[in-house]
Amino acid sequence: MPISPDHIGRVFGPTAAYEVTAVKIAEFARALGDDNPAYRGDQAVAPPTFAAVIAAQAWDQLWADPELDLTLARVIHADQAFQFVHPLRAGQRVQASLTIDGVRQRGPLTHLGLTVELRDQTGQLLASSASTLIHRQEEA
Amino acid sequence: MTGIVSAPVVGPLEASAGTLLPPLRLTVSRDDLVRYAGASTDFNPIHHSDRRALALGLPGVVAHGLLTMGLALRAVTDWVGGPTAVRSYSARFVRPLVVPDDDRGAELVVQGRVAEELADRFVVVLDVTCQDQPVLGRVKVEVDRPVEGAA
Repeated sequence: MPISPDHIGRVFGPTAAYEVTAVKIAEFARALGDDNPAYRGDQAVAPPTFAAVIAAQAWDQLWADPELDLTLARVIHADQAFQFVHPLRAGQRVQASLTIDGVRQRGPLTHLGLTVELRDQTGQLLASSASTLIHRQEEA
Repeated sequence: MTGIVSAPVVGPLEASAGTLLPPLRLTVSRDDLVRYAGASTDFNPIHHSDRRALALGLPGVVAHGLLTMGLALRAVTDWVGGPTAVRSYSARFVRPLVVPDDDRGAELVVQGRVAEELADRFVVVLDVTCQDQPVLGRVKVEVDRPVEGAA
């Protein structure tokens, strides 16, 4: 059965641990053109939007689930919020768990409300993400 | 009119509700989208293929919403002195930032304002526009207030 309100409450993950590295943080900061010294060195802090890199690994589980019949190429990001308990830093190993909070269907468009929790290996919550993604169904 | 107001810079130690952050102007090119796609591992083809973007009803290749957000956040992190002060941020991707395949790219203008002053935090709102049209909506960033005398 393709995505429907019946999937509200479904939980995915946690994902395999993602190791935050100084090299990846530097690459990400460079892609933002941001030379803030906090993003450099062994103790680098990740830019606030880096959390989405790990959250997206949780979203990938949705595209990979044949039952939901969703395709990344047909998805538009409508809104995004992140709340931080601790900033992400080099050296952390982070796992992401996703919950489908909302499914609203209007014609070919499905609005998906998703939350993702990012935790370190001790289970400590680092950040949480809330987003709405809009999926456009292929015309029959 | 871009809504940009020139005012003396008021730092986070002296700021209060209504304080304007220094405005930020930057450009986003196709090269930037490729670099961000690689760094973020977001390879949605609407960020590199006009054909695939048009098929979804977009006017052409558009920037990743979180690239726009990440660029805009710099108006806050530069002002407050770094990224660790950021407690939360939220935005609606109200209008796609269309990035032409030319040498100029799209111009983003970011104007921040302290909307609320709390005991331990500021709530900063950002206007993020391209050609005077908002591309992000309801952008809200919560940052820790710096402690006086701390490094």
